[in-house]
Amino acid sequence: MRNYFLLLFLIVISSSIQAQETAMSASEINSFKEKVIATAKTTKTIKTDFVQYKHLVFLADDVKTSGKMVFKAPNLVKWEYTNPYKYSVIFKEDQLLINDGGTKSKVDIGNSKLFKKLNQLIVNSVKGNMFNDADFTVYFFKSLKYNKAVFVPKDKKIAGYIASFELLFNKDDAQVYEVKMVEPSQDFTQIIFSDRVLNNTVNDSIFSN
Amino acid sequence: MIRFLAISFLSIFGLASCSLKTTEGLRQVHFNKVEVENPYFSNSEIDYVYKAKIEVYGKNFGGILILKKIGPENHRVVFTTEFGSKLFDFEFEGDTFTKHFIAEDLDKKFIVNILKDDFKLLVNESAEVLAVYESKNERIYKTQSDERFNFYFLEDRSEKLKKIINTTKTKEKLEIDFISSEDNIADIIAIKHNNIKLTIDLEKFKKE
Repeated sequence: MRNYFLLLFLIVISSSIQAQETAMSASEINSFKEKVIATAKTTKTIKTDFVQYKHLVFLADDVKTSGKMVFKAPNLVKWEYTNPYKYSVIFKEDQLLINDGGTKSKVDIGNSKLFKKLNQLIVNSVKGNMFNDADFTVYFFKSLKYNKAVFVPKDKKIAGYIASFELLFNKDDAQVYEVKMVEPSQDFTQIIFSDRVLNNTVNDSIFSN
Repeated sequence: MIRFLAISFLSIFGLASCSLKTTEGLRQVHFNKVEVENPYFSNSEIDYVYKAKIEVYGKNFGGILILKKIGPENHRVVFTTEFGSKLFDFEFEGDTFTKHFIAEDLDKKFIVNILKDDFKLLVNESAEVLAVYESKNERIYKTQSDERFNFYFLEDRSEKLKKIINTTKTKEKLEIDFISSEDNIADIIAIKHNNIKLTIDLEKFKKE
């Protein structure tokens, strides 16, 4: 009797896991990609709040930071952390403009291929449109709540830093609402967006230090 | 005259380099304390998380420093960027040092050695006392660390650890200052090197 319940329990658990997430079919992938690309094309600006969780296996709690993100097409991005500290970074051409609680600095990323790649990932993941990136193999999944694209790096050097990069998209408007970067150690960084405002006027002046 | 000046200059220089600034003018006293303790990373139930600002030869960069006691003698020390990417992940167990991860650009022997020594001293919980000195409102405990010495400065009344200075026989090499408002929690930590232009400032994450 006890075994019967255990079996039943396992069946319920495994079927509920299956119900949660399945791989997309080829045609689903195509229509999903089209939708994301179409959305990215009409997205001129994004303003959104975000919460970031850094998960390390040995910690009792994830390290939580939060702030605001602003994007302006084609490639201006500002991440502004406001809690528990003030720190902002602007991605502008081949430079990072950093304001670390009042200490301003500039980092040239033109020479570092790896850094450039990581930054490109951050910029593109905001838009969601990075399916044509030759450096990654992309896998697609769906659930009742979201569509998911998992990017696995082909380049060994990048793979030393990132095991996979996951983007979760809203089913209705094909906007990215969660970014997760999984490290080879399985520790990860998760960024969850909320209160997103699309296509409002964003002044260029906010992208200067 | 020139010779006289040269001799006096040399002798002053020679004398100065023989005595250690750390204990200058201090009175050595008898002691009954066998070990001196650093309590700031000793609670295995606490995730110690700090915003870090590093200045090295005029260049600034920042990140998040995470320290955790993960065993009776084990500490994990992880440094990430503000975005969460790991820059290094070290483990200290007594004298055993494990490099779980380090970003390629930082993986140079002299950088790793500096980081290893700094953070080993920071998380080390207790050390055997060699001598004790007294100042107006502090007791200073001298301990051995390989070829060098560490001086632990404890405030008289509160017995709070305020500062650690790492020295050779004649020179101060490294200073760690602690500001603590709560028991056994360091809110602000400043690590400063004297022989290289490197400072690490740490500010503990505020509770939500």
